[in-house]
Amino acid sequence: MIDQSKHNKITSDLLSHIRLNYSFKLWMGLLLTLFVICIYAYITQLENGLAVTGLGDYVSWGMYISNFVFFVATSLIGMLISSVLILSGAKWAAPLARIAEIIALAFAAVAGLVIVSDMGRPERLIYVFLYGRIQSPILWDVTVVTVYVMISALLLYLPLIPDMKICYEKLDKTPKFLRNIYKILSLNWIGSVEQQSIIKKSIFILSILIIPVALAIHTVTSWLFASTSRVGWDSSIFGPYFVTGAFVSGSAAVIIAMFVYRNSYNLKEYITDLHFDKMGKLLVLVSLVYLYFNLNEYMVPGYKLKKFDAMHLNDLFSGSHAFLFWSVQLFGLIIPLILLLFKKMRKPTPMLIIALFVIFGAWFKRYIIVIPTMEHPFLPIQNVPFNFKVYTPTLTESLISLAPILLVLIIITVLSKLLPIIPVQETIEHYEETK
Amino acid sequence: MLKKNINIRIIFAFIFILLSFFQVNAQGWDIPADKKAKNSYIKFDSNTAKEGEAIYTKNCKSCHGDIGKGNGIKTLNPIPPDLASETSQKLTDGELIYILNVGRNAMPNFKNTLSEEERWKVISYIRSFNKQYVQVLSKTDPTKSKLVKVDFNFNAATNKVNVSVKANETSGVVVLKDAEIMLFVNRYFGKLQIDKTLRTDMDGNAVFSFPKDLPGDKLGNLELVIKVNDEIYGEIESIKKLQIGKPTDKPSLTEKRAIWNVLKLAPWWIIITYTSMVLIVGLFLLLIVRNLFKIKKLGEKV
Repeated sequence: MIDQSKHNKITSDLLSHIRLNYSFKLWMGLLLTLFVICIYAYITQLENGLAVTGLGDYVSWGMYISNFVFFVATSLIGMLISSVLILSGAKWAAPLARIAEIIALAFAAVAGLVIVSDMGRPERLIYVFLYGRIQSPILWDVTVVTVYVMISALLLYLPLIPDMKICYEKLDKTPKFLRNIYKILSLNWIGSVEQQSIIKKSIFILSILIIPVALAIHTVTSWLFASTSRVGWDSSIFGPYFVTGAFVSGSAAVIIAMFVYRNSYNLKEYITDLHFDKMGKLLVLVSLVYLYFNLNEYMVPGYKLKKFDAMHLNDLFSGSHAFLFWSVQLFGLIIPLILLLFKKMRKPTPMLIIALFVIFGAWFKRYIIVIPTMEHPFLPIQNVPFNFKVYTPTLTESLISLAPILLVLIIITVLSKLLPIIPVQETIEHYEETK
Repeated sequence: MLKKNINIRIIFAFIFILLSFFQVNAQGWDIPADKKAKNSYIKFDSNTAKEGEAIYTKNCKSCHGDIGKGNGIKTLNPIPPDLASETSQKLTDGELIYILNVGRNAMPNFKNTLSEEERWKVISYIRSFNKQYVQVLSKTDPTKSKLVKVDFNFNAATNKVNVSVKANETSGVVVLKDAEIMLFVNRYFGKLQIDKTLRTDMDGNAVFSFPKDLPGDKLGNLELVIKVNDEIYGEIESIKKLQIGKPTDKPSLTEKRAIWNVLKLAPWWIIITYTSMVLIVGLFLLLIVRNLFKIKKLGEKV
């Protein structure tokens, strides 16, 4: 017995946000205005080179590279939710898979651009491919990030195919070219048994394939640091340390997106308190694992305090970076983790606030990983002025770092205006199964 | 008790002397009068200044900055002066070359890294910023240095390098007495001085002790450089390759496949791992794309 009216309600609910309304235009207008300002800042950098930044001989990897690490990190959540959770049978995660995949795709695709912003002569990017060395982790990183973007795009697209058909049929008020795109993307979907079996198999293959690739992208990103002999980076646990940190920032990003979509797209029936509760528990789990790695990363060398480590670690524990270091550990990791242990805190609004703290903490955590180490080389340059040795990002640099964040928000917003962010077909199937 | 006091007094006196020594050193250059009066045998003109500029940019600019712009490094002690300044331009040519020859504190000496000709060219460049400057040419005849012949050989029995310096004047052979003489060996990053700086004896000879264990090339060849400074004949340099070093055959680190080598010489394990991973993932992606076409075809049939 098929309940057609319920199906229609689910379909119309989940497609209702695919339209242009006033608040969307306002939000996009704001994003685009800010983005244009940031682009202007980037043009000044193109004209004058990296001299417009606070980078120098000591700190040549500054805000840009911390930003890059943050982007790669956040993109990892796509793998955790749409692959690991779903493969392990966590049915509750199904409505969140597409949100996670959109976040993953947007962050991973923009991460490449962040690297380009760190280049004084971006037109020479082609040399990386012409003269790149297979031995260099940088080449591996370029490879795995590209592959991850491709797999994420496919993993976003494949479950979308049945929904594209629904979009084509139901969204008769949208412009004709958009409906045509839906039609092309639906690949003549008729929902036959053969088509369904092919798509299930393909999603299964991708879900497994994405696990090693996702682990690789952040492990290789960590190797960009760990394969260098420098205090604070010369660590054998950098791979897992980065991967677990990635899940923390990614989960926070998904929680924020869930909250925004649920409230502004009227999806309270589909993204329920249960989802927030589960995501809260997930965040506790990944934060605990990350805390464990933090303990290893800082306590073990902190106990020994070898000569050069001491210079670096004292700076973090009680020196010029201490405020940022302890703020990040406390407000970005330990306090959120404790708060989320309480059921009351795992409600949408408190979780939004906690997730914002976690994601800001995650950004500054990358800053703390990149910059203090660069300020403490084994062979300091002799007789340089003090301002060479410390790093202060400039306004231009900060604006250029803001640009990719805006771009991610633009991509996420636009995609959520073109695609149903909760899988329609799957929700209907799920409803049929549990009826 | 008394002894202790004396000891303390000696220590204090020593510290005092040491401090006053640094005081003097930091304030000014203690340049001997005869060095002050030294002049260049090269006529300063726009060409020498231009060549001097290139040498200046490579060796001096990093601390002294652009001449006349006052953008040298201010955090060094003493602060490297802008060489267009009055205090610098007041110095005689002799004083300038003396400073270049000896150096002090953070400033290295350039006696062994730049030839005398190059050092004068730098001064020519510095003088090009002073419109009032009138050059006094040295009476030294630079062509005279060409008459000098430096002969040296190695005595394996005594481990000594014997040098004799003579000039073939038209009037006959003249030996160079009491000329400053140095022995160097060319190394990767400059010249390594062997033994001490000596002076030639009455017969124009000098003897340097030579170490037994200096690494040479595969055959043990070393490039020896003799530098002579004479009041009359100027600066003379003579280079000779001798097979007196320890034969050293270290294969270059870039000959074999290694992580640090170029792409063509990458280690096999990296090439195989990387390529096979890219291939495997690529094949899976192709499979997915093929599946997408399949889905499309299945829909067409209906």
